[in-house]
Amino acid sequence: MAESSSDNNVMFNVLKTIAVEGGVPRAGRLSLPKRKPIDTPNYIGLSSRGAIPHMTPDVISKHVELNGSYMALEDYGAGKDALHAYTATPEPLAIVLGARRHPAVVAPMGNGKDYVSIYTSTGFQKLKNSEFYRAIERLQPDIAIPLADLTFGNAHIRTKLPNQKRQLRMVERTEDWLSELIKLRNADNESETTASKPSLFAPLLPVAYPTQWEYINRLSQDYVQHLSGLAVYDADILPDLMNHEFVDLLPRLSMDFITSPQEILRQVRLGIDVFTVTFLNAASDAGIALTFSFPPPPGTADINPLGIDMWSQDHQVSLKPLADGCECYACTKHHRAYLQHLLNAKEMLGWTLLQIHNHHILNEFFKGIRATVIAEPSTFERDCDAFFNTYESVLPKGTGERPRARGYHFKTEGGQSSRINPPAWEKFGEGGTEDSTLAGEIAGLAVTGATAEGGETPLVPDDGTDAKELDRKGFAEIDK
Amino acid sequence: MPVATQASLKGLTPEQLEETSCRLCLNNTYHLGLKPGQEVLAAVGGAHKLQGWNYNLLTDSGGFQMVSLLKLANITEEGVRFLSPHDGTPMLLTPEHSISLQNTIGSDIMMQLDDVLVTTSPDAVRMREAMERSVRWLDRCIAAHKNPSTQNLFCIIQGGLDLDMRRECCKEMVARDTPGIAIGGLSGGEAKADYCKVVVTCTELLPELKPRYVMGIGYPEDLVVSVALGADMFDCVWPTRTARFGNAITKYGVLNLRNAKYANDFGPIEDGCGCNCCHKDGMGITRAFVHHNTAKETVAAHLLTMHNVWYQLDLMRQVREAIIADRYPAFLRQFFANLYPDQANYPKWAVDALRGVGVDLYEDI
Repeated sequence: MAESSSDNNVMFNVLKTIAVEGGVPRAGRLSLPKRKPIDTPNYIGLSSRGAIPHMTPDVISKHVELNGSYMALEDYGAGKDALHAYTATPEPLAIVLGARRHPAVVAPMGNGKDYVSIYTSTGFQKLKNSEFYRAIERLQPDIAIPLADLTFGNAHIRTKLPNQKRQLRMVERTEDWLSELIKLRNADNESETTASKPSLFAPLLPVAYPTQWEYINRLSQDYVQHLSGLAVYDADILPDLMNHEFVDLLPRLSMDFITSPQEILRQVRLGIDVFTVTFLNAASDAGIALTFSFPPPPGTADINPLGIDMWSQDHQVSLKPLADGCECYACTKHHRAYLQHLLNAKEMLGWTLLQIHNHHILNEFFKGIRATVIAEPSTFERDCDAFFNTYESVLPKGTGERPRARGYHFKTEGGQSSRINPPAWEKFGEGGTEDSTLAGEIAGLAVTGATAEGGETPLVPDDGTDAKELDRKGFAEIDK
Repeated sequence: MPVATQASLKGLTPEQLEETSCRLCLNNTYHLGLKPGQEVLAAVGGAHKLQGWNYNLLTDSGGFQMVSLLKLANITEEGVRFLSPHDGTPMLLTPEHSISLQNTIGSDIMMQLDDVLVTTSPDAVRMREAMERSVRWLDRCIAAHKNPSTQNLFCIIQGGLDLDMRRECCKEMVARDTPGIAIGGLSGGEAKADYCKVVVTCTELLPELKPRYVMGIGYPEDLVVSVALGADMFDCVWPTRTARFGNAITKYGVLNLRNAKYANDFGPIEDGCGCNCCHKDGMGITRAFVHHNTAKETVAAHLLTMHNVWYQLDLMRQVREAIIADRYPAFLRQFFANLYPDQANYPKWAVDALRGVGVDLYEDI
């Protein structure tokens, strides 16, 4: 039993650690003041402009066991209220604030010495470290992730690193910014009480250990008493940190790209405690109802899909729940036929019900993981193997249209010209569906200029829409 | 009655709709006939089962959509001929087919197929033809109706703005003794004063003990005045549609929450409102949050839809209470005083229409 020793109120208890090859999976409990304790491994939702897409706060309270919500500062202007009140986030949920959405749109001009580029509803702007500090003091998230000098937009961060010089600069800037942030906090602390200060989760960068070991040393020697956790942008760094004792005491939040439940299991093995799951909102938008469970149901010989495409005509008259045996609101009160109809009719409720269902499935998945880690002896490794053998490795693609996408929904890869003035009127599916990037997009990786591949349908007007109505409702906001 | 055209009230779960106190909502026969289609509806077991709605449903016959949505609709004695909006194939909607669809849908209240013409049409001959045809089609609907013991078929009075034609139509329709009576063909751009004349002309001729449903009406002023003129039921897509454009209905008027002045307004959508967004143990939604997400995240539309539907249903609840307590004239005066701080701005049509039924808006409250 280990306990963190930071200067704030976050408590993290490791309940059990198991030794497996190549990692140290663990079960724990993260307690934040005023919030419901989070049993780990677990996940938090990814919000867009302060809302978990398609779910109103009452739906979240009633039908989803959500522990927290990641929010991005770039989704808010200046001068807002504390985030919980402003976004009507239910009280038990923790709010984690970072500078950028996850995943983020690549800023064409990159970051500077004392700022990161953020993508606001009025375009790209510079966010200085001091401004970020003032914002977290004002917005009062439970947890804040200090600025990191990240180069977003690489489909998979660890396969496409920037050059070595850029990597070193990334580490230097991130360290400088963290040091400045802590100084600002300390200066303020002398005059005020520290009780309601947001807790800090220091970023671990997506570069190799030798490149950032000095930074990590500084974390452990100089800053550890100011830190409540770590925000891990590449989970593969964790095995290299075995010899840093402080790392064991801190909860680890994965800000890595999660494209499948198998990736979650792999990162749990590496020792991640809390996840942000990028494929979740994307699966719902694509019309996919997730169907996996952990441990996998026994006695299945065939390879099972991870989800079902609810657009399929097969469900037209099916009164079955979305996933057999699922106890979520969507499955107990509704059926596949209704889902198929809602998607086909482009009714917004379709995506709401899918979000309820998919969050439920993911929540059960994490419950299963915790149970197998805690079991004596732990069955985690055995069940992981079974899971890998039972399920397909990628999520199915949705076959229909996605909800309308706005500018900030677009996720781009740096250097691709398709981002500007994309073919906004092209219908989904015309550009050929066997696109290799589409799989990544469906998983929320957001690889491309979005529209060219049809990963998200930008405002495809249906027969009943006229130009006036489109004008009134506003077009997708694509920044030039 | 809120309108769930395609078996879903614009983003709300049936449970959330129930929480707005809604117990009767609309589906549209025309839309459900195209998606998911009659076969699916039959296989699923009707629209209640399709959408998980355990309260009442009313289905419009599809006649109005023929006119409003389809440019190529051609109306003959047989029915409405039109080209399918999906694949362009010629289709025919007859009274028999509409009733068959509504029987499959299983709605609690179904509407006859009527021959709808814009009220402002100057063609009196065509108007008369439409009115008389609607009567003949009612007979065909009644004959085709398979479940008269479980589903209530309402007639629809037509006749444009010609009061004599309306009277004639009322007489014919009332003679057919349907369980409820609708006044149709209105809300099509006619002057409000003309609208009021038609409503009052019809209600005077209708039997006391049958519900009177004025189709397509939803602005709060229209609702309270129409009630004074003797109408009972209304439907309109306006409250939910305007919600998606960021407009909140309140007793002091409609607020356009997209306006920049709401960006830092941390008050509820409407003070004292009892909806799940506003009331003190509710979600704690602020105007600023709706402003932040209107037309950006669907959640803002869902929240305002909830608020607006609750507002409309609560308005009608207050109307009922005022009538039962014998203080409806005072209620009307307060209602207009809230909307228009200056009496000089009261809409003339409302003042005149209410004066016609003995309510003077300018009296002291």
